[in-house]
Amino acid sequence: MSLLLPIFQALLMLAGAPLVGGVVSATKARLQRRRGASVFRSYADLWKLFRKEDLTPPTASPLFALAPLIVFTVIVVSSLLLPVLTEGSLLGGRGDFILLISLLALARFFLVLGGMDGGGAFGGMGGSREVLISALAEVPFMLSLISVSILAQSSRLSGIVHWTLSQNIFDVSAVHILAFSAMAMVAIAETGRMPVDNPTTHLELTMIHEAMVLEYSGPSLAFLEWASALKLNVVLSLLVAVFLPWGMATAWTPPALAIAVLAYAGKILVLAVTLAVVESGVAKMRMYAVPDFLGIATATSILAVVFTALGRR
Amino acid sequence: MGGKKILEIDGLYPIVTQLVFISCLLAFCGVPVIALVMARARRMESSAVALLLVGLLLGLGVGLRAFRGGGLVLLDFSSSITPFAFTLALDRLGAFFLVLICGVTIPVALFSVTYLDRHYDAPRRAWIWGLFSLFILSMILVVVAATAFAFLVAWELMTLFSAGLILIEGSSKERLHNLFIYLLMMHAGAAAVAASFFLFSPFSPDLGFANIRLASSLLTPGVRAAIFLVAFVGFGTKAGIIPFHLWLPRAHPIAPTPVSALMSGVMLKTAVYGFVRFSFDFLAGGPRWGGYLILFVGALSGVLGVLYAIGEQDLKRLLAYSSVENIGIIFMGLGSALIFTANQAQTWAVLALAAALFHTFNHALFKSLLFLGSGAIADATHSLDLEELGGLLNRMPVSGAAFLVGCASIVGLPLFNGFVSEWVTLQSFLAGSTLAGDYPRMILPLMAGALALIGGLGAACFIRVYGVAFLGRPRSAAAGAAQEAPPAMQWGMWLLATPCVVLGIAPGLMLNPLTVLSQSLIPGATFPEMITSLPVILVWTALAVLVTICLVAIVRVRRRVTPTWACGLPGLTERMQYTSTAFSKPVRFVFSVVYKPDRRLEILPNSDTYFPTAISYSSVRTTSYERYLYRPITDAVIGLANQLRRIQSGNIQVYLLYIFLALILLLTVVGIYR
Amino acid sequence: MEIIQLAIGKALSSSAVFLLISVLLLAAARRVSTGIILFALQSAIITALVMATAYTEKSAEAWIVAALVFGFKVVAIPTALLWLVERLKVPREISSQLTAAQGVFVAVVIIVLSYAAVQSYAPEAGAAADPLAASVALILTGAFLMVSRRKAMMQVLGLLVMENGIFLAALATTFGMPLVIEIGIFFDLLMGILIMGIFAFRIRDTFEHLDVSRLRRLRG
Repeated sequence: MSLLLPIFQALLMLAGAPLVGGVVSATKARLQRRRGASVFRSYADLWKLFRKEDLTPPTASPLFALAPLIVFTVIVVSSLLLPVLTEGSLLGGRGDFILLISLLALARFFLVLGGMDGGGAFGGMGGSREVLISALAEVPFMLSLISVSILAQSSRLSGIVHWTLSQNIFDVSAVHILAFSAMAMVAIAETGRMPVDNPTTHLELTMIHEAMVLEYSGPSLAFLEWASALKLNVVLSLLVAVFLPWGMATAWTPPALAIAVLAYAGKILVLAVTLAVVESGVAKMRMYAVPDFLGIATATSILAVVFTALGRR
Repeated sequence: MGGKKILEIDGLYPIVTQLVFISCLLAFCGVPVIALVMARARRMESSAVALLLVGLLLGLGVGLRAFRGGGLVLLDFSSSITPFAFTLALDRLGAFFLVLICGVTIPVALFSVTYLDRHYDAPRRAWIWGLFSLFILSMILVVVAATAFAFLVAWELMTLFSAGLILIEGSSKERLHNLFIYLLMMHAGAAAVAASFFLFSPFSPDLGFANIRLASSLLTPGVRAAIFLVAFVGFGTKAGIIPFHLWLPRAHPIAPTPVSALMSGVMLKTAVYGFVRFSFDFLAGGPRWGGYLILFVGALSGVLGVLYAIGEQDLKRLLAYSSVENIGIIFMGLGSALIFTANQAQTWAVLALAAALFHTFNHALFKSLLFLGSGAIADATHSLDLEELGGLLNRMPVSGAAFLVGCASIVGLPLFNGFVSEWVTLQSFLAGSTLAGDYPRMILPLMAGALALIGGLGAACFIRVYGVAFLGRPRSAAAGAAQEAPPAMQWGMWLLATPCVVLGIAPGLMLNPLTVLSQSLIPGATFPEMITSLPVILVWTALAVLVTICLVAIVRVRRRVTPTWACGLPGLTERMQYTSTAFSKPVRFVFSVVYKPDRRLEILPNSDTYFPTAISYSSVRTTSYERYLYRPITDAVIGLANQLRRIQSGNIQVYLLYIFLALILLLTVVGIYR
Repeated sequence: MEIIQLAIGKALSSSAVFLLISVLLLAAARRVSTGIILFALQSAIITALVMATAYTEKSAEAWIVAALVFGFKVVAIPTALLWLVERLKVPREISSQLTAAQGVFVAVVIIVLSYAAVQSYAPEAGAAADPLAASVALILTGAFLMVSRRKAMMQVLGLLVMENGIFLAALATTFGMPLVIEIGIFFDLLMGILIMGIFAFRIRDTFEHLDVSRLRRLRG
């Protein structure tokens, strides 16, 4: 039982990931008064890509074929760190948020290198933008999680969740509000959503993530798409776990677990719809306006950390 | 260690160790003799290298034994002339650095065998091997010296031998200028180190380390602070910390590549050794504000170092700047350890110090690896300009894979050793929130943000290096014709890359003994428990990566090699790739405040406005240090020298008069003083 | 009744947080109209605070003050300002000397400084540190807005934010000023806004813009 549930949880994350992206695009379609594709469209896309052949540029090195697999695996491992239905997770007892951030960085490292190995213009273009944005996003990402972990006196994600669950939801804490705002901005930048990156564009002036994966096709592309969907799921689940964990099962009973599953699904749904609304409402930023955006997140997260020291919650 | 404290493990151990160590020193002394005596002989090289390796292995053995076991006196030439007492001793701290020096030098020496053979003629090789060996000897002497005299002698020799090695590479005017800056700053630093020793002299006349340690409790707070500050300036100069880094990106790239690897990977670490020796061993913590100073300067070095590295095109200069960055990270760890010591949180201080020392070790591994890799690149393509490389992974897969390990390690990615030391440093920053007082609770966790920024920018820097140099299409004919490096060079690189991975997955191998070492430096500490928890998950991650790769390798994917669609044009060329300049442009644009580029655009107009005859564009990065910090100092010195020139008449009798006057003055002063 | 007590307790303890967040948002705001709406929200928080005080202190005067604050600062002034912005037909951007991120960094520094400054005073004044620090932060932010923004409208807004800060300081230390003085201040404010509004029209008509950094002829 103690192993079964975390495995179920991990599979839920992995299998549900394309659905989250599907919900976002379906909501966006509705907001634009289109009928849009089914929310299950991403699964069909993945299935189609997995059955296609893999095209490789003649100048590519073995790293080109390897990179998507590494990216996918690393993101899967990072999803194993997250408490979703309960405080625990497969690796949550041993890894902390620093490891989570670093695993995402590891995935990005190989994603960018894979893109640059294509030998075209776009890989480097997307890569150079991605590394700047992620370097700037790293600071508020780290600081906002640090501020919460200082309150919880634990750097383990399960420890943070455990502490937050013991708090009253109505106790408004400055640290939490500030850290959450910073994290929300980081989440947009990390997952390449509007207004930082447009996930649906293929225009060279604006694309970041799409530029990096442009030379990929077939199963490699499927792995990258799935990884990117899972990353969105991981980041949203991180927001849920750290800031809104209420509803998680504290006992190992079927009703509690059922509630936990429903609560989790509901929270992710709300976040996904919010994301869709935000994406429909704002315009894509200029590339060089992104540092300003992340600068606001940095300032906010700095204030969150300072407030933990001042003892104001 | 120290004075008379010999650890009696068994009766024979000290004597055996002394004999081994003495033979190790003799081996190093023997190499130059062989090299120069047998310079013409065909067997010169192999015998010199064999002797060098013997010496290194002996040193490594002694170091490993003492690192685990504890201290002993190796040689004692204490003479009656007290300031010139010459004692060598080995304690855990010294032993750790001895392991680092010997352990990293072995692969470098192996690499050099082929590398030097391909790039230098026989007489110069003889000189290089001789000086190389003496350079290592001087570094070993630095970390085993147990008196100020021995330390300072070794410290000076280290500078001189490295300068000699740089001189072998060539003596053009520009090189001599850079070498001059190197020597000048090293001597200024050495003067500061000497000054910090002499501040102890009223309390410890023989300046032996054991007595210095006893003396430190007698010092007034003012003198303690002065010693701390002067030692920081002295060792900071050697370590190349900003703003004393000016020499580093000038001196490291112009040395022969294996020597660059040793200078960046090993020589800088002797400065870390010296600073730890002073601040933790001698002063037991330093002044209260000391930790904050070190922390801030470290963070500044880290951020600026990596930003300068991103701005560089030349691979070796880039690596040199990245050393500035990593030294910054090490000093951040040391600063945090000092803050914890000052706040009586010994357990966390142990953790932070262990993290800093671990990063020191890791940096020695991966920076030497990357320098060797740059040597392999230069060997294959005759260029270190990133714009002329590309596609090397296909042509040199073994070296390319080793270089990838180096890049991933230096960026601090999980599964590689750089991650673990940064992780432990971050944990110590986080633990700052448990201290009393608003300032440490605010500043330490915020420093984690600085470290995150350094990590992110480091990733940008090394993704660029690897992506541009090793991936994509070759950007020049030379890069397209590159050949894999010869086996000895591959061995050298992989001997450094393997421990990077091993320590990344099983960091306890090094971290646990380092924690014991830190405990011995910080009195009243207990062993922090948390270190033991991380390794398990790294093994899990490694397993997951491997399993997936194997699974997919078994399940055959239909794969077709086909040219990339080029938007209907005839085909992609290497000119269409993002250049390394273009890749770093976003970072340079956002941080333009740091670079302050000096751009010049010159257009020679033609009768037709739209088609000028020639356009030239140049962009030079100015460093504000030179302009605002060093320029006033040099101006002042030159001004003073100009004033002093007036007393130079050239007439010998005038000079005799000066001597005569000086004597009279001295006698008067002595007379009055009595 | 208990639930009301609880709600009041929460409102008092968390109002400072929301005020600080409004400070951050004001520093990040890119449009004049956003700034005005933020000011209205900020005033609404203060209204809630006054009401909470009125309930706990059982003071009829405080209820009147609450009504006044709501009427003037949440409804009347923002509506008037928004109408003004609409009528003036000048570009919507605040055209600041600083980028949004730099503005937020300044606001963060202001907040930290206010806490540091208030830390030792708060117990002496018999007030909670949080609202007092928030009030200092509001005053400083108002000043910062006036200094760094080029649009004349933002000078008005900065003044209003400063006034909010002073009001909050009075509320935090002495549970508000006497009613007569409050009413006086409100009319003062209203007159100020009126005059500023008229001036804004005149400036626009004369110079075709509202950029105060370009009003340099006066120095002669």
